[in-house]
Amino acid sequence: MADRRRINGPPGGTRPPVYASLQESTTGAAQRAQRQRQPAELRKIFLQTGMIPTASGSSYLEFEPSASLAAARANPKSLIPPSSALKVACTVHGPKPLPRSAAFSPNLVLTTHVKYAPFAARKRRGHIRDASERDLGVHLETALRGAIIAERWPKSGLEITLTIIEAEDDRWWGDAPDSHDASWGLMNVLAGCITAASAAIADAHIDCLDLVSGGVAALVSDESNSASSIPRLMLDVDPAEHRSILSACVVAYMPARDEITEIWLKGDSSRAALEKGDDRSSHEALIDGAVDAARGANTVLSEAVRESITRSIAQA
Amino acid sequence: MASLPQIAIPGQRLGSLSSYSAGPGTHVQESFIYASIAGPVIADPAQPKIQPKPTLRVSRVISPKDLQPQNASTSDAAKPKPRYNTLPAIESNVLARVTRVQKRQAIVSILVVLDESEHLTSSQTASDNDNIASILTSAANPENHSGTDDLRFQALIRKEDVRAVEKDRVVMDEMFRVGDIVRGSVISLGDQSSYYITTARNDLGVVMARSEAGNMMFPISWKEMRDPVTGAGEPRKVARPF
Repeated sequence: MADRRRINGPPGGTRPPVYASLQESTTGAAQRAQRQRQPAELRKIFLQTGMIPTASGSSYLEFEPSASLAAARANPKSLIPPSSALKVACTVHGPKPLPRSAAFSPNLVLTTHVKYAPFAARKRRGHIRDASERDLGVHLETALRGAIIAERWPKSGLEITLTIIEAEDDRWWGDAPDSHDASWGLMNVLAGCITAASAAIADAHIDCLDLVSGGVAALVSDESNSASSIPRLMLDVDPAEHRSILSACVVAYMPARDEITEIWLKGDSSRAALEKGDDRSSHEALIDGAVDAARGANTVLSEAVRESITRSIAQA
Repeated sequence: MASLPQIAIPGQRLGSLSSYSAGPGTHVQESFIYASIAGPVIADPAQPKIQPKPTLRVSRVISPKDLQPQNASTSDAAKPKPRYNTLPAIESNVLARVTRVQKRQAIVSILVVLDESEHLTSSQTASDNDNIASILTSAANPENHSGTDDLRFQALIRKEDVRAVEKDRVVMDEMFRVGDIVRGSVISLGDQSSYYITTARNDLGVVMARSEAGNMMFPISWKEMRDPVTGAGEPRKVARPF
């Protein structure tokens, strides 16, 4: 549906044209970002709860920007930032009464909304949620529903709203779309949304089985001729830093119970090269990698929740 | 027995079912008690006969008192603190504002679910009505942040639930007026839209009301309140005035 009530920006985005000759020039105006981290090393996460006082629970999450961004800022060669990092704000409203028209429910009714800010990605987004945003909302709802103890809140609804302030890139901006292309950035966004929503739910004092956190692992190949190169497993990939991502997996994971509430695998994982003696199938390796990433995110999450409860005790 | 953590976060293991029983804010998984909300951990002492094991719970009320050793807290006067995010449950006492009075029922919207601990120590019942204003205006009460009735739980007081005697002679207009603050007890979660509340007890009924002239009235009997300025009396179902 077209949005007729607002004056929208041009639908195709407003980024300046970049010519192929410029990219190939020796000045290095457009250097692909390189991954500086170890394969199993996550980006740093900033997470804080209680940022929005009018909501019953809220949180803000930010991933550490890639090292190439800092380098580009210090020594600007191009106006286009080489990579972007996730920034998400999450609010939880409720438990509140269900609308009059709703049927009786003995459980908590969960609704999730994920919305990109119009300026979140390189391509401009509309004000109305599109298919991928609704899809993210459904994935997030499954992830959270497994963690919340819904029967403790009869007849009430919980509304979780996430605003993506800055999204991850799906690929390096200078790359032309190719056959391995998919919305890889979406998976990082979902992992961030799960972790942020979990912190906001804990901030709202809603009963949960455990703090659920999201993690991403991917099979990437960085060689220029992708036919000969062997894909490698990496945790928490920034799609802008890799030439080609073959497959990726995001999980929502509860470490205290060792349970997965949501899993999303995408791409072709048949050509993964695992270490010798490792007889896991490659999608098993992908899932294990994503769980490891989620465990890492959980250390930040539990520390943020502990911090918020200590802060509110100090204020009381 | 391992020592308890002072503050728990959801999913944190608190203790074994063999030495504790699970209270509010916790859940049980494979005979261990886990926290399900973040907050201070409290072990309520065992009561012989009823409850042989101490009860573990995670408190929703954030107060520094909870973090002190438990022996001191029972004696000091329990100050009413609205809990965060409490749903009305059966037999919980609530404060509600009357939004509509009909012939067979009054429609109210629930403002606060009162703390049970306050209810238990209500030996000082006379002073009970005095702290209602402080409960309603307390900044910790999340309801004060949302102004509309849409965000509050709606409830019904049916004509037969107003008082315990002479149920057939109840006239709703002489029991409640729009705007009154009523203390009631939840009798049922009700249908999809509203809870059912009763005021058929001596300590339940109207606790705050304004007269037609707009002045705050004081109770003079179980069925009448009086305007201090004009001296006119108005009928109400009053919650234990004296």
